[in-house]
Amino acid sequence: MNYTKNEVLIDVKEVNLTYDKVILRDINFRIQNIVRPGMNQGQVVSLIGRSGIGKTQLFKILAGLVKPNSGTVMVGVDQHPVEAGEVGIVSQNYILFNHRSVHDNLRLAMKHDSLALNDKDKDALIADYAQRFALEEHLKKYPLQLSGGQRQRVSIIQQVLTGNRFILLDEPFSGLDALMIDRVMELLTQVATLHELNTLVIVSHDVENSLAISDTAYILAKEKEKEGATITETLDLIEMGLAWNAGIREDSRFQQLVSQMKHKI
Amino acid sequence: MDTIRKIFSPLTQIKGRTSITLVVMEATAALVAWELFGQHGLIPTPSKILMAAWKIVTSAFFADNLFSSLALTFTGMGISIVVALLVSYLSLIPVFAPVARFIVKCRYLTLTGLIFLFTLLTQDGHQLKLSLLIFGIVPFFVTSLLSIIDAINVQEYELCKTLRMNNWQTLWEVVIVGRLDQVFEVMRQNFAIAWMMITMVEGLSMSEGGLGTMLIKSNKYIDLGTVFAILVIIFALGVFFDSVLKHLRHWLFPYTKLQTRA
Repeated sequence: MNYTKNEVLIDVKEVNLTYDKVILRDINFRIQNIVRPGMNQGQVVSLIGRSGIGKTQLFKILAGLVKPNSGTVMVGVDQHPVEAGEVGIVSQNYILFNHRSVHDNLRLAMKHDSLALNDKDKDALIADYAQRFALEEHLKKYPLQLSGGQRQRVSIIQQVLTGNRFILLDEPFSGLDALMIDRVMELLTQVATLHELNTLVIVSHDVENSLAISDTAYILAKEKEKEGATITETLDLIEMGLAWNAGIREDSRFQQLVSQMKHKI
Repeated sequence: MDTIRKIFSPLTQIKGRTSITLVVMEATAALVAWELFGQHGLIPTPSKILMAAWKIVTSAFFADNLFSSLALTFTGMGISIVVALLVSYLSLIPVFAPVARFIVKCRYLTLTGLIFLFTLLTQDGHQLKLSLLIFGIVPFFVTSLLSIIDAINVQEYELCKTLRMNNWQTLWEVVIVGRLDQVFEVMRQNFAIAWMMITMVEGLSMSEGGLGTMLIKSNKYIDLGTVFAILVIIFALGVFFDSVLKHLRHWLFPYTKLQTRA
């Protein structure tokens, strides 16, 4: 595969988090801009770990919502410390403002000062995304009138519309049937390829689906006789020839990898 | 047959028409039984109460008394909701939080012991009634409003941060605009408290009249037919306003209908 890994977009260094016990220990990983000729190739990275391992805490640290006890999270091409609002989050239960219509929820994402668009352009952009993600018919509805899949799409688009290039997704495959999982994967691939720097970080315990969509995966687990979770394994799925392939789940090498990883988390 | 089985089965949901039929039938049965077996009792029968109610409603003084009670209730409610909202929203600013917590505890203060103090502080009977009504309602309002604020999911605040809102914008979006429908519901629930208190505070100064004054006067002369008739009027008006506020809430905040059905 013809690709290069260029500048660092997210750099997590020596992150430690302790409450009454050690939650996260020495977390180190980096996400680089993957460049493929002739296309916008965004990044899809998975942080895989079992339930209760500290994924949500790491998720919040990456989003700038929780400060670690030590260590840094640098984001962007200029590598500055992350601040809340720079990294979009799509929570597991797809939080939206229930008192606003879908259109108004999306419009709210473009209210901040750094977006220099007039009202007409903002509405045109919403209409464009709604059309791309099959939400045209639902713009006037309230979030409570949407299905789980529709809410998830609105949540993701809301974060895209803020202009954030980094989006964290907490358990995006949780509670979905096989057909919906395929659709979510299509959606995430679509979002990742909207812009060269778009970077999706999936935090999940679902090994198979997370690996199937990612170009890189980090396994978050506990090491023997050590407190707190850390990155125990890094999988470069591009190098392994297991990335960017919609039918990868049929591949026996992929299935073998999934099986191995299930035992490691 | 199936319907009859359903209405005796626990945890069964019955739909609109059946539910209304059930209410009408049970109410009719209760009224008929009361009419038949209450002829020689202390409590007047429904027909006597109805006649007394009709006499009151068609009397010249009723409209004045009703208007007096309604004006006092709505003024009291209006001022109370403004004060309670102000206190509740300000409670999110740490320096004001203790004030809100203290007002919540004021629910346990009895009004009776404070009447003398309020009499000294106010200039006339109207002000006295209004102040007592407000003092009586505000702690309940604030308690309900603070519980709404406490129940807000932390993820909503986090969403605001990811949408690059500052703390004031977050307060506006999540706490103020986002919870207006619930504030309205609190207002509806507390209207019942205000409506109940009205009869009590109207007894403190009878010069302006009111349904409470009518009730107290009838009680004094043990005119039970009139007492029950006034109670029925107060009850019917309360239920009417409750229904109006409920429909107004659904009309103003259409998404609340979805939450009710969910």
